[in-house]
Amino acid sequence: MALALEGVRLEYPTFTLGPLSTRFEPGVTVVLGPSGSGKSTLLSLVAGFESPTAGTIYLDGERIDHRPPEDRQVGMVFQTYALFPHLDVRQNLRFGAAPHVDIDRTCELLEIEELLDRDPETLSGGEKQRVALARALVSDPAVLLLDEPLASLDAPIRRRLRLDLRDVLADLDIPVIYVTHDQDEASVVGDRLAIMLDGDVVQEGETGEVFDGPVSSFVADFLGMENILSGEIVGTDGQETLVDVGPTTLVATGLTRSAEVDVAIHPRAISLAEPGVETEGNALPCEVRRVVTQHTDATVLLSCDGIGRLTARVDVRDAADIAPGQSLVATVAPADVHLTEPDR
Amino acid sequence: MSYAEEIRRVSRGEYGDWTAALHERGVLTLLGAVLLVYLLLPFVSFFTWIEGLTLGAFVEPSVLSAIQYSLLTAPVSTALATVFGVPLAYVLARSSFPGKPLVDALVVLPLVMPPVVGGVMLLTAFGRFTALGGLAAGLSLPLTDSYLGIVLAQTFVASPFLIITARSGFAAIDREVEQAARSLGKGPLETFRLVSLPLARGSILAGIVLTFARAMGEFGATMMTAYHPHTMPTQIWVTFISNGVNATAPLVIALFAVGFAVVFALQSVGKRITFSS
Repeated sequence: MALALEGVRLEYPTFTLGPLSTRFEPGVTVVLGPSGSGKSTLLSLVAGFESPTAGTIYLDGERIDHRPPEDRQVGMVFQTYALFPHLDVRQNLRFGAAPHVDIDRTCELLEIEELLDRDPETLSGGEKQRVALARALVSDPAVLLLDEPLASLDAPIRRRLRLDLRDVLADLDIPVIYVTHDQDEASVVGDRLAIMLDGDVVQEGETGEVFDGPVSSFVADFLGMENILSGEIVGTDGQETLVDVGPTTLVATGLTRSAEVDVAIHPRAISLAEPGVETEGNALPCEVRRVVTQHTDATVLLSCDGIGRLTARVDVRDAADIAPGQSLVATVAPADVHLTEPDR
Repeated sequence: MSYAEEIRRVSRGEYGDWTAALHERGVLTLLGAVLLVYLLLPFVSFFTWIEGLTLGAFVEPSVLSAIQYSLLTAPVSTALATVFGVPLAYVLARSSFPGKPLVDALVVLPLVMPPVVGGVMLLTAFGRFTALGGLAAGLSLPLTDSYLGIVLAQTFVASPFLIITARSGFAAIDREVEQAARSLGKGPLETFRLVSLPLARGSILAGIVLTFARAMGEFGATMMTAYHPHTMPTQIWVTFISNGVNATAPLVIALFAVGFAVVFALQSVGKRITFSS
């Protein structure tokens, strides 16, 4: 069972989606992108709430883009959950349940057995999310769409639920399209990742591959690689590439077609050490400008010789001895120096 | 003071003294009270004016006939407005189409127009000498000066109340709730019946109450299209012209009682009504 989009395009007066041609195989594909990039519109097209201006959508080889939403077998979990407020949880689940589906089993799986007699308005955000997912699952969908399912929740619940969601979704043998703008969520939940910008999919692939090889500065930035530096390729031996970033030469493992590149480094890929301590990889002498602690993490703003500003993110315990004005060496492994096409 | 705190104070009985409320909302309460007194004044003055009212006055043939015609026509007009008005309200709330602003204006027009003008226009469409009116009269179903004429006038004047309130109820429904129903295998009509209608039921019932009340009280358009048989408002007018204020008392009180009874009954039904899937 696979979902395929061929040349799908949707035109609004101020926005155009596509043309998109892509396949969604069984497994979780996370669609990641900023607000207004067309993620939710993509789901509306697949669900049948919008009709494409051009192109076709196939489900398991059968064309479905001309079918109304009720005839597509596409389940959907909305950001607002969209539970029926006039029905209790049990009635919500029975509303569209397929006759052969064991509702009790799904309730057990999602731990909502205790909620069946409750009205939706009495549920917490996390409980609503579970009920909405259960309601979609008991309809026995051939495709499951999730539109920012955790976006309305507080951060601690969101972190916990995304792990639960990953487990539940991993057991489904259907294409699951999971829309989010949160890169942490994307890295946890999905097998595959598609990055959207301005109505187009600009990169897609296995989640790890995309995180390791962003194709552009936009993708790198959106994946949380806050350090984007302009560079020039000065040498390569087929395995390692030398790139000049200002007066500093960095070693990277990636390859690129053009000499002009952007260098993207994730803040977590930067290790900090005292000067004189032996390190491996690219060693950059820096001075600490500022340390900002956030719960378990600390963000260290650095000023590096010849490069300028870098941002590192370390465990808050490791940041205890770091103070503004202190000299440190920032170390980045060649594999974490990502070479991307410049957006300019 | 927050709303929650206010609720807590009410629950503790701290507003048992109405002067506390007056103190809290001084200027607003005073302004509201002025209108309230103005609304109440005619009722009080009417009931102090009338004298010599006997039970026999309530069973006068003209009074009973007028009550009968009002009670036979207003529910039919309300039912017609509901059956056709609720779907129209849904379409107006959910669809966009060329000319929609004109349809919106048409729906409101009977409200802003004097009812007597509506009656004149109805005569030009359904009068005895029009094509439709002549055809109906030929089938012994005259559309003027008849039961049907009253229903036509009441429906024309009162249905906007239902359409406007129902429309606001449908518009307030989260679109994603309806989309969820569609994605769960329900077609447009099933989604309307199982989701949209129950969620808008408060607004629809409010519209039904307003429409019924308006139909019961309809006079201007009814007088033009169906002076005979007399409904309660028409009979009140006829009685007032010939016998003065005092003579209208039985019908005014009856209209008052029927209006109150229906409004309370519908409100009570509205609280208990449920729609199951």
